[in-house]
Amino acid sequence: MAKTILVVDDSASLRQVVSIALKGAGYDVIEACDGKDALSKLNGAKIHLIISDVNMPNMDGITFVKEAKKLPNYKFTPIIMLTTESQEGKKAEGQAAGAKAWVVKPFQPAQMLAAVSKLIMP
Amino acid sequence: MSINIDQALQTFIAEARELLEDMENSLLQLESTPEDAEIIGAIFRAAHTIKGSAGLFGLDQVVGFTHIVENVLDRVRDASIRIEGDLVALLLECRDHMTELVNVIAEQGEQLDEAALGREQFLRKRLQAYQGVQAGHAAVVVEPEIESSGASMEGPDNWHLSLRFDREILKNGMDPISFFRYLGTLGEIISIVTLPDALPPVDEMDAELCYLGFEVNFKSDADKNTIASVFDFVRENSSIRILPPHSKVAEFIDLIRTLPEDEKRLGDILVSIGALTRQELDEGLAAQKNPKADGSTAPLGEILVGQRSVEQEVVQAALEKQSQARESKNKENRYVRVQADKLDELINLVGELVIAGAGANLLAQRSNDSSLQEATSTMSRLVEEIRDGALKLRMVPIGDTFSRFQRVVRDVSKELGKDIDLVISGAETELDKTVVEKIGDPLMHLVRNAMDHGIESAEKRLAAGKPAKGTLKLNAYHDSGSIAIEISDDGGGLNRDRILQKGLERGLVQPNQTLTDQEIYNLIFEAGFSTAEAVTNLSGRGVGMDVVKRNIVALRGTVDLESTAGLGTTIRIRLPLTLAIIDGFLVGVEKSSYVVPLDMVLECVELTESERQGMKERSYLNLRGEVLPLVPLRTHFEIEGSHAKRENVVVVQYAGQKAGLVVDELLGEFQTVIKPLGKLFSNLRGISGSTILGTGEVALILDVPSLVQQAEHAEQS
Repeated sequence: MAKTILVVDDSASLRQVVSIALKGAGYDVIEACDGKDALSKLNGAKIHLIISDVNMPNMDGITFVKEAKKLPNYKFTPIIMLTTESQEGKKAEGQAAGAKAWVVKPFQPAQMLAAVSKLIMP
Repeated sequence: MSINIDQALQTFIAEARELLEDMENSLLQLESTPEDAEIIGAIFRAAHTIKGSAGLFGLDQVVGFTHIVENVLDRVRDASIRIEGDLVALLLECRDHMTELVNVIAEQGEQLDEAALGREQFLRKRLQAYQGVQAGHAAVVVEPEIESSGASMEGPDNWHLSLRFDREILKNGMDPISFFRYLGTLGEIISIVTLPDALPPVDEMDAELCYLGFEVNFKSDADKNTIASVFDFVRENSSIRILPPHSKVAEFIDLIRTLPEDEKRLGDILVSIGALTRQELDEGLAAQKNPKADGSTAPLGEILVGQRSVEQEVVQAALEKQSQARESKNKENRYVRVQADKLDELINLVGELVIAGAGANLLAQRSNDSSLQEATSTMSRLVEEIRDGALKLRMVPIGDTFSRFQRVVRDVSKELGKDIDLVISGAETELDKTVVEKIGDPLMHLVRNAMDHGIESAEKRLAAGKPAKGTLKLNAYHDSGSIAIEISDDGGGLNRDRILQKGLERGLVQPNQTLTDQEIYNLIFEAGFSTAEAVTNLSGRGVGMDVVKRNIVALRGTVDLESTAGLGTTIRIRLPLTLAIIDGFLVGVEKSSYVVPLDMVLECVELTESERQGMKERSYLNLRGEVLPLVPLRTHFEIEGSHAKRENVVVVQYAGQKAGLVVDELLGEFQTVIKPLGKLFSNLRGISGSTILGTGEVALILDVPSLVQQAEHAEQS
């Protein structure tokens, strides 16, 4: 069965392109537009990997990661943070919260795929 | 898929417009409440989101500009700069420009018009005042495609990976197996040995921790950095050791030996050849800070070998290289600095000595006094040595001039947005200091030209099946008494038809003329010739190539050009090794004497009577089955007088072309001090200078390159 990835970003177009790339590689994708939305989507589905932006309205990425890590089902789920080169501090914060992998924005779809496939296979 | 991407792009445009609308409102609000962190955050997020998404679609123009705006906003957010009226006005203008950029994308890839580009430049300039030190262009880094190698290598010579993951790895959502799977895409995993040594007794074991160690035998053509990047996400607290296959060790050692000899630190040498990753070096350096039990610190090499980052042999080679570099540095310190004027004066005096020596020699030969002859011949041998020694004083390796271009290439390629490598060879080739000084500017021009016009943009290169990274080569070597300097690029080559067309337009070529490719390419050295469609600030203003040629000709050099469409262009400059003294070959026609530079003389043959008869109809000779064009100096210089009883041919060669100079007498080798001709004679073809013989007579020095060229043309017509 295909593995499922949750993509959290407030940009619909970014989510769309990432989805296309991931689906093309054989993953299932669920999208969420911010941390709150993402938390609600964690219940119910079995998600194997989370890709989350840091800067989002309503609930930012760091808080979301901390909350997700508290859920028993998602304790061991790998999380990829989307950071920018100007946010070195955010990267460290994300890692402390439990998101050990990261991809630097702006990125190409191929870079995202490489990062994902280091963590899970479709 | 492409339909989907199109849809996504539409989403992006709608989303960006919405964000820009919000941004405008927020900015207007900010004017009344400048300290509101929430509003500032919202503005930043808008710019940030637009940049992130635009990057995904490869919209570099949007990314580049938005990046700068985001940068300034970031500084506003962390209160490095204060919001005031001017800044809000500027940001509003930036917002308008971003809207324009998005509109351009919405209208299907039309370019920004001139006025908008001008506005962008102006905005960028004004934004600069608010930018932090780290501001720069957006780095849209496209990782090179990871090469997966199905290609098998011979023998059991593989990479060895020794992995002890962070025990917490599973808690972080990372599974060692997934890394092995990914590793499998880079090559072939031959075997994995699992080490359970660290496993505690069952009752003490925490099921959520990873206790296992792994030793992996891995076959791959990927380089160390690529393999190390697999473990990017787990580097913290893990111990990742990657040892290269044995064949790589030899390769590394070879690489180290070929490194230029400048003093580098051991770690830097190892990183630069790819034997060590930056992270491994940092770890090693950190380890070095902890003193050993006895208080001393271990050398870095020992630590690196100890932590199994590199092989002992590689460290050894690097250390040898280091001490070599130090030695050569010490040698440098033994130099005596001499003023260039003094050196020039010495060379001049040596020149006079050569002439005076030749005079004494001549007198001795006439006197029939054998002991005097012996004395003068010893003296002339010594004079020759002094001459060579004095000239060598002025010889410097061209490497210093070449290495200046590393920086130029780096800067210019950034400016052009191209990725270009500079490869230097023949840096140790020596030539006269005066020549080196004068060749810098023409070289600079040629290098910039090659980067701007020669090497195509990355997209074009990829489309042509070439690597995205362009290569520019600088090479120097000695070739028959001259030095050749080559500037070659692997770009698109010259457009033969466009040059020819331009040549016709400019009246440089007559419509009915047929030219060889070579001649067409050389048209670009004519004055006022430029085929570049757009004038950039680097080159393409149409001044330049002719100036380059003039500078080189002034140094008694030549320049020619080879080009293959789609594969690149090579420009070859040939310069005389020295400007002052040469070994000459003296020949006589009627009563005049001429000097041919000895390096260019291949052989001498006598012209037989039948050949002399034949010469009246044709001007070439059958030299052992080869066609040798002839230049009779008697007719060339319009020397009056009856033909001599016997004539000889001096076969000369220049730049691979041969020609025969027809002369009366062969007078033998002769050291010559070149005296330049006055301005009055600068138009003379076939003569490059003059010299004074031992008898006090003047002999003209022949300009072999131009004579050879002339013979070449005469043969063709």
